[in-house]
Amino acid sequence: MSEFIGSRTRSKEGPRHVTGRGLYTDDFILPGMLQAMILRSPHAHAKILSVDPAQALANPNVIAVITPDDINQSTKPFKPGRYAAGLKRPIDEYAGAVDKVRYVGEPLGAVAARDRGSAEDALELISVEYEPIRPVVDVREAIKPSSATLFEELGSNLAWHGSLQYGDIDGAFKSADRVVKENLKIHRYSSTPLEPFVVIASYDAASKRLTVWVTAQVPEVIYDGLREALGLQDVRVIIPDVGGGFGQKIHLIRKYVVMVALLSMKSGRPVKWVEDRSEHMMAGGHACAQEFEAEAAVKNDGTVLGLRFKEYDDVGGSISTLTIHFTNKLNNLSNTYRTPSIAMEGYAVVTNKCPVIPNRGIGKPGMCYIWERMMDRVAQDLNMSPIDVRRKNLIQPSEMPYRTISGNVYDSGDYPGLLSTLLEKIDYDKLREEQKREREKGRLIGIGIVVGVEPGGRNAARDMAIFPEMKEPPGSGGVNGATIKLEKNGTIALHLGSPNCGQAHETTTAQVAADILGTTPDQISTSIPFDSDLSPWGVAAANSGNNFHLYDIGAIHGAAKKLREKVVKLASHLLNADAAELTIENGVVQVPGSATKKVTFAELGRVAYNNQHLIPDDMEAGLQATYYYTFPHAKPNIVPGPDRLVRAQFTFSAGAHAAIIEVDKATGKVEVLRYLIVGDNGTVINPDVVNGQVYGSAAHGIAVALGEGFIYSPEGQPLTVTYLDYGKCSTAETPKVEVIHRPSPSPFTSLGQKAAGEGAAIPSPAAIASAVEDALTPLGVKITDLPLTPEVVWRLANHNPDSVRRSY
Amino acid sequence: MKKTIRVTVNGRLYEEDVEPRILLSHFLRETIGLTGTHVGCVVGECGACSVLLDDKLIKSCLHFAVQADGCSVTTIEGLAKDGQLSVIQEAFVKHYALQCGYCTPGMVMASHALLRDHPQPTEDEIRKALGGNLCMCTGYVQIVEAVKDAAKGSTHV
Amino acid sequence: MIPGTFDYFVPRSIPEAIELLSAHRDDVKVLSGGQSLLPLMKMRLSKPGYIVDIGKIPGLDGIVEEGDSLVLGALVTHAQIENSELLQKRCPLLPQTAATIADIQIRNRGTIGGSVAHADPAGDMPAAIIALDAEIKVAGPNGERWVKADDFFLGLLMSVLEPDEIVSAVRVPFTDKDKTAYLKAAPRSSGFAVVGVAVRMTMDSAGICARAALGITGISDKAYRPDRSEEILGGKKLDSKIIAEAAAESTRNIDVIEDINGSSEYRTHLTHVYVQRAIEAALQG
Repeated sequence: MSEFIGSRTRSKEGPRHVTGRGLYTDDFILPGMLQAMILRSPHAHAKILSVDPAQALANPNVIAVITPDDINQSTKPFKPGRYAAGLKRPIDEYAGAVDKVRYVGEPLGAVAARDRGSAEDALELISVEYEPIRPVVDVREAIKPSSATLFEELGSNLAWHGSLQYGDIDGAFKSADRVVKENLKIHRYSSTPLEPFVVIASYDAASKRLTVWVTAQVPEVIYDGLREALGLQDVRVIIPDVGGGFGQKIHLIRKYVVMVALLSMKSGRPVKWVEDRSEHMMAGGHACAQEFEAEAAVKNDGTVLGLRFKEYDDVGGSISTLTIHFTNKLNNLSNTYRTPSIAMEGYAVVTNKCPVIPNRGIGKPGMCYIWERMMDRVAQDLNMSPIDVRRKNLIQPSEMPYRTISGNVYDSGDYPGLLSTLLEKIDYDKLREEQKREREKGRLIGIGIVVGVEPGGRNAARDMAIFPEMKEPPGSGGVNGATIKLEKNGTIALHLGSPNCGQAHETTTAQVAADILGTTPDQISTSIPFDSDLSPWGVAAANSGNNFHLYDIGAIHGAAKKLREKVVKLASHLLNADAAELTIENGVVQVPGSATKKVTFAELGRVAYNNQHLIPDDMEAGLQATYYYTFPHAKPNIVPGPDRLVRAQFTFSAGAHAAIIEVDKATGKVEVLRYLIVGDNGTVINPDVVNGQVYGSAAHGIAVALGEGFIYSPEGQPLTVTYLDYGKCSTAETPKVEVIHRPSPSPFTSLGQKAAGEGAAIPSPAAIASAVEDALTPLGVKITDLPLTPEVVWRLANHNPDSVRRSY
Repeated sequence: MKKTIRVTVNGRLYEEDVEPRILLSHFLRETIGLTGTHVGCVVGECGACSVLLDDKLIKSCLHFAVQADGCSVTTIEGLAKDGQLSVIQEAFVKHYALQCGYCTPGMVMASHALLRDHPQPTEDEIRKALGGNLCMCTGYVQIVEAVKDAAKGSTHV
Repeated sequence: MIPGTFDYFVPRSIPEAIELLSAHRDDVKVLSGGQSLLPLMKMRLSKPGYIVDIGKIPGLDGIVEEGDSLVLGALVTHAQIENSELLQKRCPLLPQTAATIADIQIRNRGTIGGSVAHADPAGDMPAAIIALDAEIKVAGPNGERWVKADDFFLGLLMSVLEPDEIVSAVRVPFTDKDKTAYLKAAPRSSGFAVVGVAVRMTMDSAGICARAALGITGISDKAYRPDRSEEILGGKKLDSKIIAEAAAESTRNIDVIEDINGSSEYRTHLTHVYVQRAIEAALQG
């Protein structure tokens, strides 16, 4: 059965991309299409007094302009979704700024012209009058009564405050031998996909039908967003090849889809908008900067009885993503540990910076950072090895499936095994000896060992844990489908419920379908793009490596099985044989051992679509199956109730990471000497694909820890609007990442597969922090804050703190 | 004021009237219709737009179309012959040296230019040579493996 | 992304170029490689109404020996410099520096004339040509003249060039007997220098450093020569103490900048480290 599942099947996406024949949104042209530019705020915080497009409209190449008034009058605000689950009172958020701007780059209008250059020229001619308001860029400043409030309706910039508690946390701290505390910080960063946002909108006024082509990750957000904002019933969302998503193209992009759609409606023409890199860096969305105050209740033998933390989230200038970085921590709240009580308290503060979005990991890197820094701290406090402290608290494989204190069910995993294999592969004891020797020579080498679960498979109701009384629940669990068709000529066509953005959907689904149907991947093709009219999609439709393994693989698995049944039924009829004795191999259905009793897929196709006479009376014609998958083991706690227990995600990959680094004390530069991951991604369908996800997510987490990130001036001006300034790494700066697989297949998924998308981005920042601290141990330095830029490390290593705060 | 330019692209001569401010990248994508060359940034720092201009690897977004008058350009579409992938293209497919594919044309062009001029590069040389091409997906591991494989025993790509 | 509109000219000689520049001197930019100009125009930080493309003027792309020096035409690219066997043999500091500039794509188009004329305060070439005591040939409506590198750079993106003048050549000496190196700190290899140090030391037969010349870029409003460091090194047998002293003096009287890549304090310290390392690298090489 598993000829292709698990094998290095040739990439189906590869050939078109290496020849430049990928079809991305900007590659589409429609007749009469106009080009748009977005009008953006140059101020971090200001009232919009007036917008006058007269001069821009004087250019005959300019066809339409939309202003805040147009947005206010012709669109409705978005409904607060699950990302703002904490928002108890709705606050209107329109596609563009209507009366006030709250971050540099916030969109407030747009221009459509006959060519891109004219649109850019026209933008400069729109007169906007602002009344600047003093901006806030620091969370603690923002919540002072003296600071200007971003949203008057809220009365304060503390937009949300809430807490969750599981287990007897007070009891844990009472019976602790000691309490270990630490304050930690993670900064703003993102995965900055190489393809920026692109939207094409085409409104057919006579039919009242809107079609959009868009670089989006979650069709539902676009589909619902357009219908809510524009009051349209007939919306079609098409998602072609997407040049990277990473969570960047889920949420804020809906604003731009609405604005471009409005331009199309106003101009009566299709309109295309292509975002510039600088626009994306300032307004496309950032991962949340978070500050943590954590404390662990610890016994002297290293057992962690309880973990308690406060988190301060700098959510930027929008209330629409208020609580995701908090609620997402429910996905890996326990990490790999059996700690019986955990309490979390969150503060979401709005500031005059880019709104936050669900970038790769969304809050989970923060959660893993808290755990792994605390484990190192506990080890130091108790004078134990960091390995032993972790071992003391790890959930054992014999306890799987394991219900965590917050309601997650870990399907499978051998965390002690991952750790042991890792230590063996890096020859840990020998490495420590080598470190000691090199320290005597003055070299600062550090070893960081961390473990992390990597949850996968979304539960749409998860965020309700902080607001179970939510009036309009965002859905629950997950639903997504796939269609599979045996075509007239015997080849197989797949149509997935999810769009793609580089996770090799076509290749991996073809492998699964091939094995189930008894054919080969080269006989299978997947149709792109995603089309909301045709694709069998549900709430879990997404191009997200974190969901694909569960919902899309599950759906194709189900659909292929359904189709196989039909194929066998028709074949058994044609061959006059018992269905149970038929085998399928290489697209041929046959009675084993018989030279004559066989029929090919092509022959079946010709019957099913052409030859009614040969189709059994009790069988539907055609050979096509659609299957909508839901995770069969989603209950209990799929929808959180008053007890706040929730299945935050459904499958649990895991990894043990080793970072071996060296610090140059004179410059603060950190060189990664070796980075090894021992990973459990369950049953691996295509090793090259999974490895690629692990390499990429690890490389990003390492780069985040070592300095890439967004920086603002004290006045809220973004200082990092180019890749260079932001600090993105090329081949020359990126260390090589090594991966070894040690899977514990999931007993709950179709093939035992688990997630591999967010993957290594979750533990890697903690691994680097741990390694750098280890390197600087002889100097008595503690690492708590990211990023670890050369200057930061230099100051720490030389006990030379900065007198001025430089980044916001 | 438009200017008439004559540019050879992938061996075919084109004569077009263009505004001086049109970038070579947009000229290739929109005027000639070859959308394999991608645009990922503004200041020429990502390399997605890399093409060969008179056989030299350049960033087409840092070049006006009018500057290419009389020149010869090779884009990603010019590497495969009749659907037959070149050695470096085949290596990228085989090694999964791509995920979303957006950096891929530029990355393949840069790798092609490297192996043409340095048929047996070390890993260090490969990493330096591709330093002008950013990828957000792969972490570069499989890209470097692909280039190494393409270099093995081949004197041309 | 799309620059403002402009009129575009392609002169075929230097006099023709100068005439065009003079005619539009209030609103004109020279285009050679375009690797510095286009980013500015695409961000609409620069909106010249007229562009004079000197890229097609013949005779400006050669590297020739002239007496005891080498003359590089303004249109010689960084890639040509990096790969020039002649320069590698007779003036290796130039190829050593060129190899660190940005990436291959930019080196294939960026020119030495453009680098020098643009006077980027973090540009690599200015540091090298200062250390080489190079001379820059300026062509203008009043003819041509040679300007010493020390006198050429005036400040942030400012040089002695008038709007109707261009750089037509750069002259550098043979440095056969010298030890040279260029080291730079950059967060990303394609990025600009946070600090870049060019070193050229003329050693005598007794192993004494007869003369040291340094050029430092990236920490001030322009590349500069650290005079005091040169004094400390000159005429001495170099040991780690002297090198450290020279390094410590390399930022004397310099208002070290600060930005997202480093505070003034860190950059000052980093400069000292890189001066030391550049000298050591030159001595080893």
